[in-house]
Amino acid sequence: MKNRVRELRETRGWSQGDLGEELDVSRQTINAIETGKYDPSLPLAFRIAKLFRLSIESIFEPGK
Amino acid sequence: MPRYTARQYRRSMLLLMAIYLPLMLLEWPHVRQITSLPLKCVLTLLPTLPVIGVIWLIGKRIARSDELEQRVHLIALGAATGVVSVLSLIGGFLSAAHVIELDGDVLIWVFPVLCLVYSITQIALQRRYGVHGCD
Repeated sequence: MKNRVRELRETRGWSQGDLGEELDVSRQTINAIETGKYDPSLPLAFRIAKLFRLSIESIFEPGK
Repeated sequence: MPRYTARQYRRSMLLLMAIYLPLMLLEWPHVRQITSLPLKCVLTLLPTLPVIGVIWLIGKRIARSDELEQRVHLIALGAATGVVSVLSLIGGFLSAAHVIELDGDVLIWVFPVLCLVYSITQIALQRRYGVHGCD
C-alpha cells in the first residue's frame, strides 16, 4: 500500500521519532510504514489520519 | 500503558542473567552431592526463578509493544514453538523406538532452543520490516 506519511510528516518538520511519540508507536514502525514495508492496522491508520486532519483515503492508497 | 523500550528490556534482562549465571556456575554443579532432599529440591529449582523472571519480562515487553513489534514477536514465538515442538516430537519418537537414548537432562535445552529460534526469527523479521536497530 502506498502512503503519504513521510511527505505529511516532513511538511510539519517532524522526525520519525516525533511522529512515533504522537502516535504511541516506535520510530522503527513509522519507518516501516513510510517505506511501505508494513501496512498499519485500521485503528492506527485512523490515528494517523486524525493527527494530520485528513481522511484515510487521502493518506493511504492501495498498491498496484 | 507506557511503551517498554529495548534499552529497559536489556537492562532488566542483564540483571536476571546476573542472578542466573552465578547460580548455574557456582551453585548447580554441587547440587548432586547434597543429601538432604528438601534442600536439594530447593537448590536444584533455584535457577528456574530468574528464568520465570525472563518469561515475565518477555511477556511485559510484548504487552507494551506497538502493533508491528507485537506482530514480529508473535511470528517469532510461533516459529520457536513450532521448531521446539517438532524437535521434541522427533526426539520423543526416536527415544520411544529405542533408536536413540535420551534422559531427562535433555529437557533443560527446551527453553534455550526456544529462545535461540525466537531471537533468530526476530532478527530476520526485523530486517524484513526494516526495523533493525531498536530504540
